[in-house]
Amino acid sequence: MSEFPHLGLREKFISVARKSNILARECKNCKSIMLETTIYCPKCQADKFNLVEYMGIGKVNTFTIHTVPPEGFDDVESYAWVVFTLDEVPLRVSGFLPGIKFPSELPIGSKVQVIGFDERHGLLLHKL
Amino acid sequence: MNKVCVLGAGSTNYGKLKEDIIEIALTASVEAIKSAGISPKDIGAGYISNVFGIADKQVHMAPVIMSNLGISHVPGLTIESACGSGSVMFREAYANVAAGFYDCLLAVGVEKVTHTGTAQSTTLFSYCSDFFYEGGNGASFPGLFASIARYYMTKYKADEEDLAYVAVKNHENGLLNPKAHMRKRITIQDVINSPVVASPLKLLDCCPFSDGASAVILCNEEFAKKSNRPYIEVIGSGRGGSPASVQGREDISTIPSTVIAAKQAYKMAGITPEDVDFAEVHDCFTIAEIIDVEDLGFFPKGKAAKEIREGATSRKGRIPINPSGGLKSKGHPIGATGIGQVAEVYDQLTGQAGERTINNAKIALTHNFGATGASAAVHLFKKVE
Repeated sequence: MSEFPHLGLREKFISVARKSNILARECKNCKSIMLETTIYCPKCQADKFNLVEYMGIGKVNTFTIHTVPPEGFDDVESYAWVVFTLDEVPLRVSGFLPGIKFPSELPIGSKVQVIGFDERHGLLLHKL
Repeated sequence: MNKVCVLGAGSTNYGKLKEDIIEIALTASVEAIKSAGISPKDIGAGYISNVFGIADKQVHMAPVIMSNLGISHVPGLTIESACGSGSVMFREAYANVAAGFYDCLLAVGVEKVTHTGTAQSTTLFSYCSDFFYEGGNGASFPGLFASIARYYMTKYKADEEDLAYVAVKNHENGLLNPKAHMRKRITIQDVINSPVVASPLKLLDCCPFSDGASAVILCNEEFAKKSNRPYIEVIGSGRGGSPASVQGREDISTIPSTVIAAKQAYKMAGITPEDVDFAEVHDCFTIAEIIDVEDLGFFPKGKAAKEIREGATSRKGRIPINPSGGLKSKGHPIGATGIGQVAEVYDQLTGQAGERTINNAKIALTHNFGATGASAAVHLFKKVE
């Protein structure tokens, strides 16, 4: 094992996202769940974790639809940036959901699913 | 710890400025030096706050500013903490005077971004987010605050008109500030009818991209007393942190760093929110001011929107908020904003705020955060009679 096992975790997160899942870390000490790029547990500061894959399906907590997107996203006609909570565990994740034009298309509580990781647009979502 | 005082203050106009970033910083610095009645040789150190100097082809700004002030031997440093850079830098400057390292120092915040245009500025600002999860997934800063707004509005049944009241009030205040970027009276309908930037936020819910600089002179009490100039005392200083990404927060309707910083500052000063006569808070977007005034303890959670509608935060209200016009109207040159807030408090508490003066104010608060509140600082100031 590497002396710095946390290095490269974002690459692992991306590879798991491409399988439509979310890679999280479960603290071996207090069982808190956090996103994989967290190195020390925010609750107990332990640094030993189990890597766990969860299904990338959850409910929308909040979102926005950009009219003025940052560079790199101006090739998309319309998209939402979405914060959602996974169904399997109380873990929030955020991602890019193309094709949403109006807030009425995405009521709070709507179901979304991770469908991949796009080199240009990040964690790619689909509305269920 | 030594008592720390603010002895002088200066600011450029905020807005679209043609001068380069160093010229802007020097203009504010010289105004602060003159305001304090000191000479550059009295300055023991230079503290600079800036975020996007690279966009104006200048990083490592402190030695350039010190050299241009004729004090190249004086040490300087530049501090970056996104939109909260000014207040974070102020805290470090404060701590160095309090600890006795310097009797007197110059604290300058500066930013120049308008020459980059809206698209590039939007992109630059997105780098202040937790980029892997936010900017990298398409979130702009208006987008991040829009998601916070939607969460708050859903939780507390607030609406877009509630947000608009903040903008209208701050533009009204900004009309009285000759250095404000957006000196224009607006109505609720103007805000509601302005173009959507990131739903539910509209153009007039957003502060402008601004150029500008603000500077203050910090010193110990002995130095201030000898100056025979008006000064104010720093009575509380707090800093806090939050999860860097919005998704990492248990409650998206509050900003933990503000709550932490405020508690520290109130405790240090030995006062409560009820003792504060007015506040300059971080209203980068209208929703931010609503959340700020709750997190600072002026109103219970979920109640600020109604209080703002009823005028509690207007200049003649129970707790005036952003008499300068705030980021929304005065403008938001992000490296300068936190110091600009201190400059406003200095002007207010030394009787130099003209027609925007908050009558009988004795204690004031400044609150400034970086990004979506990943870092924040709160300071408390007292009028010296």
